[in-house]
Amino acid sequence: MSSTRIYIKSATQISMQQPLSEEWLVNPVISNEPYVRSTDPDFKQWLTPLQSRRMGKILKRALTTSLKVMNDSGVEQPDAIMTGTGLGCVENTERFLYQLCQEGEDLLKPTNFMQSTHNTISSLIAIHRHLHGYNTTYSHKGISFETAMLDAITQMRLGDIRTALVTGNDEMSPTYYSILQRIGYVGQPGQVPASEASVAMLLTVDPVDSLCEIEDIQMGYIHPLGANNPAVPTTQVDKLVLGTNGIPAHDVLYEKIASQFQGVSRMDYKRLFGENYSASALGLYAAAHLLHQGYANRLLFVNHCDGQNIAFVTLKRTS
Amino acid sequence: MEPIVITGVGIISALGSNKHETLEALKAKRTGMAPPHYLQTKHREFPVGEVKKSNEELKHMLGISSEPTTRTSLLGMLAVQEALKEAGLLATAAGNEPAAVTFVNGTTVGGMDKTEQYYLDFLQNDNYNDYIRIHDCGSTTNLIADNFGTLFTQCFTVSTACSSAANAIIFGANLIRSGQTEIAVVGGAECITKYHLGGFNSLMILDHEQCRPFDETRAGLNLGEGASYFVIETQDSACRRGVIALGKLSGWGNACDAFHQTASSDEGEGAFLAMQKALSMAGLQPHDIDYVNAHGTGTPNNDQSESRALRRIFGNQLPQVSSTKGMTGHTTSASGSVEATICLLALQHQFIPVNYGWRKPMSDGIMVAMDTKPNHPLVHAMCNSFGFGGNDSSLIISSFAP
Repeated sequence: MSSTRIYIKSATQISMQQPLSEEWLVNPVISNEPYVRSTDPDFKQWLTPLQSRRMGKILKRALTTSLKVMNDSGVEQPDAIMTGTGLGCVENTERFLYQLCQEGEDLLKPTNFMQSTHNTISSLIAIHRHLHGYNTTYSHKGISFETAMLDAITQMRLGDIRTALVTGNDEMSPTYYSILQRIGYVGQPGQVPASEASVAMLLTVDPVDSLCEIEDIQMGYIHPLGANNPAVPTTQVDKLVLGTNGIPAHDVLYEKIASQFQGVSRMDYKRLFGENYSASALGLYAAAHLLHQGYANRLLFVNHCDGQNIAFVTLKRTS
Repeated sequence: MEPIVITGVGIISALGSNKHETLEALKAKRTGMAPPHYLQTKHREFPVGEVKKSNEELKHMLGISSEPTTRTSLLGMLAVQEALKEAGLLATAAGNEPAAVTFVNGTTVGGMDKTEQYYLDFLQNDNYNDYIRIHDCGSTTNLIADNFGTLFTQCFTVSTACSSAANAIIFGANLIRSGQTEIAVVGGAECITKYHLGGFNSLMILDHEQCRPFDETRAGLNLGEGASYFVIETQDSACRRGVIALGKLSGWGNACDAFHQTASSDEGEGAFLAMQKALSMAGLQPHDIDYVNAHGTGTPNNDQSESRALRRIFGNQLPQVSSTKGMTGHTTSASGSVEATICLLALQHQFIPVNYGWRKPMSDGIMVAMDTKPNHPLVHAMCNSFGFGGNDSSLIISSFAP
């Protein structure tokens, strides 16, 4: 495999912070609420009223963030689109499911079903821009976005593609919040808010005007009894970007990893962006901008989900 | 590129619980379609291709008694188990464990079978919280992986609706090709749920009778369920491990139709591009393909669009083409690997899987295979899988001669 170098050229977000902006770097929104929905931008700048009406929140956010990074990077026709989403289009799924459980199997609405598969997001972007290239969707809990990123990096290193739009999208409806609260995933005492995420990143092999370089990505599956478990990268870094969320059982693994990097400063990004299955996309977005703004030279991003699936991403400053 | 070989195969579908039963059914042109028996649906009018086992029977076959499980995860475990066994990866002697086995699973339904049963409880009480935990697609993959101890060192889930398993195979193959993993178990699993039976019904694309892909009178699809996986690795890895290559994954293509969320374009652009990419990667010409397992759902739209795409690739010299969904039903997220396995069986045993249910040619359509006897040796088979959103993929499976 070639030693192709890969860069993040543009990255934006819609979240509990100011949308489509890096305002959080200087003037962050801090919330102590257990559940905070995203602050939406004015979609009119990006979508026609007709398009807006036909799309649920997650689709509007996904399309808007994608259009912005394609615009900002000047890569209007990326070779590939990869999306990560833990739960897909939740609001449509819930509507369809509720109708099925409450009213039975007749008279179900096709629109809700059509927009309830996880790949609706990636294909919507392709349809909107007539992009016939590689298009896929990963749905693996909290590591969905990193899987999408791994796919893009793999194909760039193989020389199959040169540009990729990688997105991470999850929405948190009030009912889904209450369901996830039941199992202790969100809404726990001391935990960061349950939130939503829409992130788009434009990855390219072209270093010009990039936010940072993606040096490496390692993903693994952790077994309770130890064998074959992934090793923590030993790269020299000057910052850790960690997914701690305030639940001790969840944070213990991050603290264990952080203890191997004595004296290295850290960013606990979920304090700013909250917890959801695409929170790691916001963490990587934040990490890219930290490097670009000179807050670090090389950093290690760590994300795990339920102590099972784990991802390490090493990012390096380019400007 | 170093050949990627297939060293293990597992399959469970309406045609049987393993590779042998599937092969016998295919050669005997037997259909697995029947009225719903295991799915508790009021839609008795739709034939479905159910795996003819209850969840309890599936658990018994696996030797597990614990809950929570979902039907998709149980089907997945059985097919993964069969594939691992053939590839010599099951219960590997201590000290002789493979360095790293990656699991790439395709599913969309995930734990929806249990969610649709307990959703109102999810909203109101804590009685079924265990099933909330395993509702999502990734949990289905983790559940399957955990059944095999510490074998899997990476677990990923692809969810591109009906092409999920094909795209899982592609991702796993790229991880091997790039040297990031040596061995991967790739494919997909999906059970039938009331959710997507109702969904396809709301789109009015289910046939009330036995489905008839590529037939002039086709009126929609029949749903099926199942799971199938390949163990894939480099030829070098297979040699070192002393396992037999059953076939070769020689090419793949993924493209987007970029036309509509649930309909295919008239010209079948996504399908055309996917097949073209797969041929180019395999270094093959259209005339090298001996058999195409079409996506062929039986909906008026898919079969018209796919016929057009096939004509654009193959011109008037079409290879033997069939859709096997008349026998298995449309196994949705699993269909890519179920049908890739059918292609591999066809190559290994030199027969053509027939287009069950077909009688009358479509005007402007393609002729399909109805006789299992090939008129020349089968070396290269193409397998098409198309999903909602125009997520179209095509795989080329070849006989392996070292």
